Amino acid sequence: MVEKRTLAFVTLGVLVWALMASAFVGYYYLQSRASSQQLDDNQYSLLKSALNYDKAISKYNALSGEYSALHGSCSFFSDSNYVELLKPFEHLAVALSRNYTSLLKTQEDLNEAYSELMDHYELLRQRGTVPKKEFEDLLNEYYNLFHKLVLKELAQLIGETVQQSVNIVIDYGNGTAVWRNDTAMSAGSTLFELTIKAALLNYTYYPAMEPGHILVNSINDKTTFTDPSYSFGYSWIWYHWNDAQKKWAVGPVGCDAWLLRDGCSYKWSYEYWHL
Amino acid sequence: MQTRHLALLSLLTALCIGIQLTPRPPNVEFTSFISFTVGVVLGSWAGGFVGALTMLINGFLSPWGNAGLIMPFQVVGMALAGVLGGVYKMLFPGRLNSKGFCLETAVMGALVAFIYDLITNLGVGLQFLLSGMDPALALLLPIAYGSFFSLVHVLSNVVVFGALYLPFADALNRFNVGGLSWLKRERLHS
Repeated sequence: MVEKRTLAFVTLGVLVWALMASAFVGYYYLQSRASSQQLDDNQYSLLKSALNYDKAISKYNALSGEYSALHGSCSFFSDSNYVELLKPFEHLAVALSRNYTSLLKTQEDLNEAYSELMDHYELLRQRGTVPKKEFEDLLNEYYNLFHKLVLKELAQLIGETVQQSVNIVIDYGNGTAVWRNDTAMSAGSTLFELTIKAALLNYTYYPAMEPGHILVNSINDKTTFTDPSYSFGYSWIWYHWNDAQKKWAVGPVGCDAWLLRDGCSYKWSYEYWHL
Repeated sequence: MQTRHLALLSLLTALCIGIQLTPRPPNVEFTSFISFTVGVVLGSWAGGFVGALTMLINGFLSPWGNAGLIMPFQVVGMALAGVLGGVYKMLFPGRLNSKGFCLETAVMGALVAFIYDLITNLGVGLQFLLSGMDPALALLLPIAYGSFFSLVHVLSNVVVFGALYLPFADALNRFNVGGLSWLKRERLHS
């Protein structure tokens, strides 16, 4: 005969065990539900990416074809005045704008580049005579912008499923350096976009500068300064952390031409320079 | 309450707080064990007092940060551990052989840990509820996601209660009896 006391404690032990087991079952149920939900989401975003990629490539092929036709016309054009080709160029530029409307609206640097292209076109149109060299320059400008837009669009497609985490530090040159760690950016973002997200940025767009057209005037109201003699001044210089050498490396291109890498650190530094 | 009982409770509470603030694996604790044993030896109110006061102070000083909304639940949970000690003594006053007694206290340790976790999970659930979660989900999620930590708590309590209850309870009992004999000796000399 089992003692009443023993029975009470066996019952208590079994009760605790049963409740713990139930909690574990609940945990595994919730985990499996979350996993299957995540799997579905991933499947959906992959499918969406594939569809968007198809659309982007069709657009790219169509515009490439139109560009190629105009380029061919330019190559075999018999007259010395290429003004006649400005009309088809306008169609091409409008098609570009129509196909990449959202990118041109949201990306300030690309929008600037498109405005520059259209200003260039307008200048040639008003002049009346367009030598071959100038029309070819216009076509090249278009092609550069076209490629940047395509690259950006494809990067944004990846960015819909891939998020990057980067760090940025703004060194004001007076001993104050402000870090902003683990900033989430979509894949294909540039340092320019990161800087806009992290600080108040004032900049100038220089069409002649390559690669990257942005020159920073001020970050968080700390303005660059150049002496009228152009022999010294203070500028915002950007660096990226070189993992192999374990030191900051000077940015080799304009900030709008530098694509961010996941986990990398970037620095804007307010520095004195002289010639 | 005798002064030396008050001193003992203060000492044990300080011991509990010291252990609470010492780095240790998550959910491995001795407060419930000490509160429970004090509850058995000195009564429910004493055990409840040690548990509640320890968790109240721990809520502010814990290296994990201020306990916030969960603190009242921790206080109630640990006070219950002490009260359960008194209840245990009341329901099962006799003493078994060592082996049987260790098994019994091990089961009590599991029960105490489980009840404490259930109560603190209610606190977490309340936080979820306040953040706008569905009430049923808010109640079940912390229990489900905290099940691993609960298991660690229950198993560690089984070991601690099973192995340490007898020597610790004996020491506390000796303290009780020792005090009285000291009083008797004083009378003999006079």
